Amino acid sequence: MTAAAADSGLWSEAELAKFRRMTLIWGITVLLLLPILALLGYFMRLYQSGAFSGMRAEWFYAVLTLHSLGMVGTWFVGSMAGVSYLLLKYTRPNLAVSKFVYVGTLLGVVLLIACTLGGLFGTGWYFLYPLPLFAQGVWAPWATFTFFAALTILGVCWTIWTLDLLRAVAQRYSLGAALGWNYLVGKPGPELPPLVLITTVSLIVSLSGFVAAVIVIALFAARALGVNVDPLLMKNLTFFFGHDLVNIIMYLGIAMVYELLPSYAGRPWRTNRTVAIAWGAVLFLVMFAFFHHLYMDFAQPTWIQKLGQICSYLLAMPAGVVSIFGTLALVFAARMKWTLSSTFFFLGILGWGIGGIAAVIDSTVEVNFHFHNTLWVPAHFHTYYLMGVVLIILGFIDHAGKELSGLEEKPALSKLTTALLLIGGYGFLFMFYWGGVNSVPRRYAIYPQEVIQGTLYARIAVGFITLLLLGILLYLWETGRRCLKALA
Amino acid sequence: MHKTGPQSRHRLPFRWSFRAACVAFFAFSVFIFVPVAFAQDSFGQPSQEPPNEERFVYKLTPDVPITTSSGVQNLSAIWHEKPVLLTMIFSRCARVCSPFLRSLNSAVSDAGGLGTDYRIVVLSFDPKDTLADMQRLASELGLNADPDWTFGVASPSDIRSLAAATGFWFQWDSSTQQFDHASLVVAIDRGQLVRMLAGPSVPAASLREVVQELRGKFVASYALAGQVAFRCFEYDPTSGRYSLDWGLALMLLPGTCAILATAWVFFLLPASRKKRNLI
Amino acid sequence: MIQMHAFYIFLIAAGLLIAAFLYVALSTRNAREINMQSAYGLRKLLFFVVLAVLVLGIGMTLGKTPYPKANELPGKVVFVVGKQFSFALSDTPITNDQDYEARTYGIPVQVPAGSLTEFRVMSFDVNHSFAVYSPDDHLLAQTQAMPGYVNRLRVRFDQPGRYYVLCLELCGMGHHRMRGVFDVN
Repeated sequence: MTAAAADSGLWSEAELAKFRRMTLIWGITVLLLLPILALLGYFMRLYQSGAFSGMRAEWFYAVLTLHSLGMVGTWFVGSMAGVSYLLLKYTRPNLAVSKFVYVGTLLGVVLLIACTLGGLFGTGWYFLYPLPLFAQGVWAPWATFTFFAALTILGVCWTIWTLDLLRAVAQRYSLGAALGWNYLVGKPGPELPPLVLITTVSLIVSLSGFVAAVIVIALFAARALGVNVDPLLMKNLTFFFGHDLVNIIMYLGIAMVYELLPSYAGRPWRTNRTVAIAWGAVLFLVMFAFFHHLYMDFAQPTWIQKLGQICSYLLAMPAGVVSIFGTLALVFAARMKWTLSSTFFFLGILGWGIGGIAAVIDSTVEVNFHFHNTLWVPAHFHTYYLMGVVLIILGFIDHAGKELSGLEEKPALSKLTTALLLIGGYGFLFMFYWGGVNSVPRRYAIYPQEVIQGTLYARIAVGFITLLLLGILLYLWETGRRCLKALA
Repeated sequence: MHKTGPQSRHRLPFRWSFRAACVAFFAFSVFIFVPVAFAQDSFGQPSQEPPNEERFVYKLTPDVPITTSSGVQNLSAIWHEKPVLLTMIFSRCARVCSPFLRSLNSAVSDAGGLGTDYRIVVLSFDPKDTLADMQRLASELGLNADPDWTFGVASPSDIRSLAAATGFWFQWDSSTQQFDHASLVVAIDRGQLVRMLAGPSVPAASLREVVQELRGKFVASYALAGQVAFRCFEYDPTSGRYSLDWGLALMLLPGTCAILATAWVFFLLPASRKKRNLI
Repeated sequence: MIQMHAFYIFLIAAGLLIAAFLYVALSTRNAREINMQSAYGLRKLLFFVVLAVLVLGIGMTLGKTPYPKANELPGKVVFVVGKQFSFALSDTPITNDQDYEARTYGIPVQVPAGSLTEFRVMSFDVNHSFAVYSPDDHLLAQTQAMPGYVNRLRVRFDQPGRYYVLCLELCGMGHHRMRGVFDVN
């Protein structure tokens, strides 16, 4: 990749070296955050299994908040850093912006840790209005303020990063070219790498998500000043922001697969009319699919609920027919170089697909009536995160680490790592799915008698998480080692 | 001559009789007039609280026969076609009934839906009222030719069972020669009471809400204490109407800003305007 | 039970996807050139199959929403308030904290079996979720409890017994112990 970037004529060797270094720093930071945040998740499942019965439940909810926001943030920066690195071949992202965002992200993370582990702020990642203001004595006003300060800092930094990457795309491509419109009308035009197309779509969507977050924070401030805000409006804005953010993280991961998997398969993956239509459809549909988070708000107009289901269902088309089929067609009977990276890319797309199937099922209003806020919800998003975009980003870091360090992997260790991650990961996920099917609620520190089976499922999940953590540790040992060597 | 001594004892029985009569009269007063004094309340003012809708909502309405200008028919013959707004008055009413019906008519004109979403049935609870009395009342109100207003009478026992099931109450006040009664209109859908509006007049906004409910919709939002900022659609209870509010603009703002920001980056930023190797 | 049906559909679809990925992964053992036209043809077929499945899914499910329908009328109304950390249920509206306290600890509301019951659900503070669990501990129905809105949830209970209500929307440290109760007989 950096050879291609060097050949593009866009960069001097010195500039590239600095960018490589920044990318490695991002990668190592992600690799440091991963085990910490994973251990927090481990703690949660252990708590639910009854292992910490003497500990106040407030700790569970504070850890839940940190784990969920921390993971979303980690994979956001991981995917943005990865895409920035891959864009070096085509355009010039700004290194200073990347450094600025890095410092801002660290500051935001520190503040998040302070308000959750230090202040027991426990609203969950979507801080649904007006819960942050109803602490019931658990967290102090300073923790609420620190939480919103963290979100503001992260939001501002990440918006600047988004704008910078969009600016970088705009320096080489017109808007129409970047969205592949020439393919739609059948005009010959500039070759558009799928990476650029998907990144452009994702960045536009994430801009709208960040604006929604700004409005939410501003309205919280209005409430703090004594003006009641409509809870339903806040819910719509909050889920618009959250839904957009978690989806574009996945799309940026998919973009990395479109860019890197072809080199392992020895075949190209080009933008064509179908790919352009698919991602144009995603740009539109993802803005309305978020209504599926509000099905159980019966006050929301029914036509909006049905629109949410239709858009959520239709989003399966570009994903399934174009990206997933494209991956399979790319790899089918190819002279495939199966390394840890390419395996993770391939399995990541599979995980994204499986999580997507569970998501489409839950986006059916009739089904959501029985699955909403049960363990089915963390089941599906952990599937397309842990076994989806996380695998892809870890594959990217591994790919970059090998490329920049020159160190090769040990195949046997890679196979063991993959097996542990797969068995541990899907086993852990299955207990979530089974919990959802059996009506176990999500986000419960302790399971009451009606859903006491949740405790047993948590205990089984803990066993699988142990395997998963071993796999993560093996990965960290190998890949971390390579990244550190490349940095040195 | 005032005699004392043994001869005066002969006068004692009269005095005692007088005292006994006073005591008896007093006792009579206590035992007769005190309950009457308590009962005085029920004549002078309403004896019951305004009926609470929640005690009656979704309860079945007795399907009683009523006599109208179309002959004798059960109430269900009317509510099977369309939901019914039912109210009870009496034709000799010198106080609230006519103003109440006029305000109902006005509210109906304002809210709409008469004939398409519901019909109105006005019954008398006065056993002395005849169909002719009710038709005269309808004529005085200008409603006798309106096919969606039905004026009728029913038997006293049927009226009593209807009143008990729908929250109406009425009581004869002999001092005023009038009935004291509730002023209310109830909405009946497929035989079940769904809404109740109590009060001497019918606000158009309230009726609009009732009509919405008869159409299967209802107002889900209510006012929170303090000023509520930015709903998408604000319901105004005084007018009974929804209006667009700034919340809708806030929902459209993220997408709009994303489009504007994209346009700014691609079309207005100097670095984008002078593209290198524009492809 | 709808949860099991959804789970079977998930297992079948995920199984098919896993099988496809396994097949493709194993195919790399015999590397060869592929006919792109055949691939595009297969993609076109896949497009129509997936579209048909999705349209069928939408057609079969979009009409079956849990929202109150104009053509049905409940036989009974139950008023519900969620507040940190308990649900209060009552036959009469709960308008203040005193009513809420009284109904939180009061005798459970009685709901008739076989008839449609309407729960009018709201909250006095934060978002909660009014989730009804059957006597055999399955999630039967739910709706959000929100300040500023009344959500009407209509459910027909065929099985007599004691039904518990759990909160399914994170509402603070007592979220997991928040409950309500009513009886169906």
